[in-house]
Amino acid sequence: VSARLSRRAFVAGASLASLGATGGCKRALRDDHGRVRLRLWFSLGGRNREVLLEIVRRFHATQDDIHVEPVYQGDYFESLAKLRTAIAARAAPALSHVIAEVVPYLARASTLEPLDGYPGMRGLPFVPALGQAGAFRGGAERPLYGVPLNRSTPLMYCNGEIFDRAGVRPPTTWSELVDTAKHLTRPGERWGHEVPISWWFWVAMVGQAGGAVFDEQGRATLGDEAGVKALRLWQDLVHRDKVMRPPPGRDYDAWNVVNQDFLGGRAAFIWTSTAYIRYLEDNARFPVVAAPLPRDVRHSVPTGGTFFVVVKQAPDAEKAAAARFLRFFCEAEQAAFLSTRTGYLPITTPAVDTMRAAGFFAKHPNDEVAQRQLASVEPWPWEPNLFRVERDIVDPRLEEAVLLDRDARAVLSEARALAARPG
Amino acid sequence: MKPRSSVHPWLMLGPSLAAWTLFVFVPLGLAAYESLFAWDMLTEPVYVGGANYAAIAENGELARILGRTLGYSVLVVSGSMTLGLGLAVLLDRPGGFFAFVRGAIFSAYVVSWVAVALLWVLLLDPDRGVAAVVLRALHLPRIGFLTDPHAALVTLAGVTIWKITGYAMVVFLAGLRAVPRSLHEAASLDGAGALARFRWITWPLLKPTAAFVGTTSLIVSFQAFDVVRIMTGGGPARATTLFVYAIYEQVFMNLSVGRASALAVVYFLVLCVLAAAQLRAWRSQTVGRRA
Repeated sequence: VSARLSRRAFVAGASLASLGATGGCKRALRDDHGRVRLRLWFSLGGRNREVLLEIVRRFHATQDDIHVEPVYQGDYFESLAKLRTAIAARAAPALSHVIAEVVPYLARASTLEPLDGYPGMRGLPFVPALGQAGAFRGGAERPLYGVPLNRSTPLMYCNGEIFDRAGVRPPTTWSELVDTAKHLTRPGERWGHEVPISWWFWVAMVGQAGGAVFDEQGRATLGDEAGVKALRLWQDLVHRDKVMRPPPGRDYDAWNVVNQDFLGGRAAFIWTSTAYIRYLEDNARFPVVAAPLPRDVRHSVPTGGTFFVVVKQAPDAEKAAAARFLRFFCEAEQAAFLSTRTGYLPITTPAVDTMRAAGFFAKHPNDEVAQRQLASVEPWPWEPNLFRVERDIVDPRLEEAVLLDRDARAVLSEARALAARPG
Repeated sequence: MKPRSSVHPWLMLGPSLAAWTLFVFVPLGLAAYESLFAWDMLTEPVYVGGANYAAIAENGELARILGRTLGYSVLVVSGSMTLGLGLAVLLDRPGGFFAFVRGAIFSAYVVSWVAVALLWVLLLDPDRGVAAVVLRALHLPRIGFLTDPHAALVTLAGVTIWKITGYAMVVFLAGLRAVPRSLHEAASLDGAGALARFRWITWPLLKPTAAFVGTTSLIVSFQAFDVVRIMTGGGPARATTLFVYAIYEQVFMNLSVGRASALAVVYFLVLCVLAAAQLRAWRSQTVGRRA
């Protein structure tokens, strides 16, 4: 404990020193108008950022007690690194949002405020697959730590023009995926299929092949045979069939490349997030046709996106302000606004009902496909180790295995052995 | 020279020793200590002894990081020195045109790493970059400069050379101007050609300058971070994960302070070995000259 204290003291001291150097002093809890200052660190860019800021503006218009101060902190992973460091230095904001897989880790570290005790937080009508209760195995039995902000699943997007011209339909099985990709590939001109070589899509394929990345006892099995099968499918598409381009770049750089290749007609069908429905529809010069991810032995998709979390060490007034903002955020009007403007899935059932009543899904069949695919959601395990297994162990090995065509079985056994050790 | 009081040398050393202790020795000691724990800054640290070292050494990961960093350093040091020296010899001429070219080449050195990296990312884009257009025009095959695991490290080294060659050139120019003109005139009278004069007069007198350029280029190459972070993020397939980036990745991306600290300690030891080797080479050269 003393070692931990001394380290924390060092980190805190260094942070205080840097705050002092920049003229900082103890931060005022209230602003000049007597409103509670609620710091919010966020990681959304482009239209998602505009929508979040608009919801903050609407919140300000409804009350005079709380002033939300949103600060952009880079992408999800940069923002998480900053949040973690700020928590260690006891300088974290009250409200932030993190990717789903990191919630169990932060909860185990006792850094998150349970939100059940705040007025109106218990029993918020989340869409089962997207709230903590349904997004995690056993998520309902735990205190409420995460409130869904922007939630998504992987989705397949097809270039309607290319598909029509070739007279093919979106693939519904893995073997159809291979055949369609072969059929639509024009060497040097167009790839049949493209998908970021990333943990999220691999997890989807592991589920489709009948496996799970963690077993019921919390061991990282990485899908066993299903994991190998999923990885081999990618390797075959890239190296043997030569119908899939492994997009360059890590994390969201690769995602961006996939989107641009699709929009530029250089990829006939891609897998990416439901979050890009609006973006792709608005920017494509061809009809964008969304379809569920194909199955191997079953349909399966993980959820993605982020959860709002409230930092335990924040002052009580800020935490209460955060809970109040979250309640406002979860109102049907706000949840529907975020979903209709971006493509993220509506997080509450009243928001879904509102959108349906307004004829949104009838007018936007791609969003309807994303809604239907929620029936295939595979919840994440509530494992503190989940994020480490994803970032430290599996993600870098997937890219290596696909690009360098490494033995899939050997790569995953090595990853399994590493996952079994303390981090 | 004998100090008037034995305290005086310590008083002179004091300020810099204090700065070194605060910013080098204490953090290094802390890193060495942290490297014995599995710790993520938020949960209880667990003592694991040498397990972090074993983990980074396992499966040849440490060797690969070290090999990549050394390979990158060799390319950067040799490339920037050769080009810097060549440009200095070519451009060591009077006149506005040569001054403009020297200034243009040096300008890359003063531009920030972030701007340079972003510029090259655009230039090397495999579909829309200038490099791709040129390759297509010449009917050459498409090259994934930043996406092919076999090409990415060389590309990063090329960008680094492009950026720091101006600096090497300026230092070599200063060295060239310190070479007495009379030696060249005497050698010319004895019938020595340009190549012989360079081999027997210029190069021996430039050796200290070359050693300085070599050392600074080595430091730059071992500290490479911005260029990796922006251009490749350590990929593809970890082909450009150099030492400093690997440390950053462990602590900030993978939440593993212990393993990052172990890498930092190894990094320090590697630099100690390199510095010792350089010092040894430098001393042997100095002794040789005295003899």
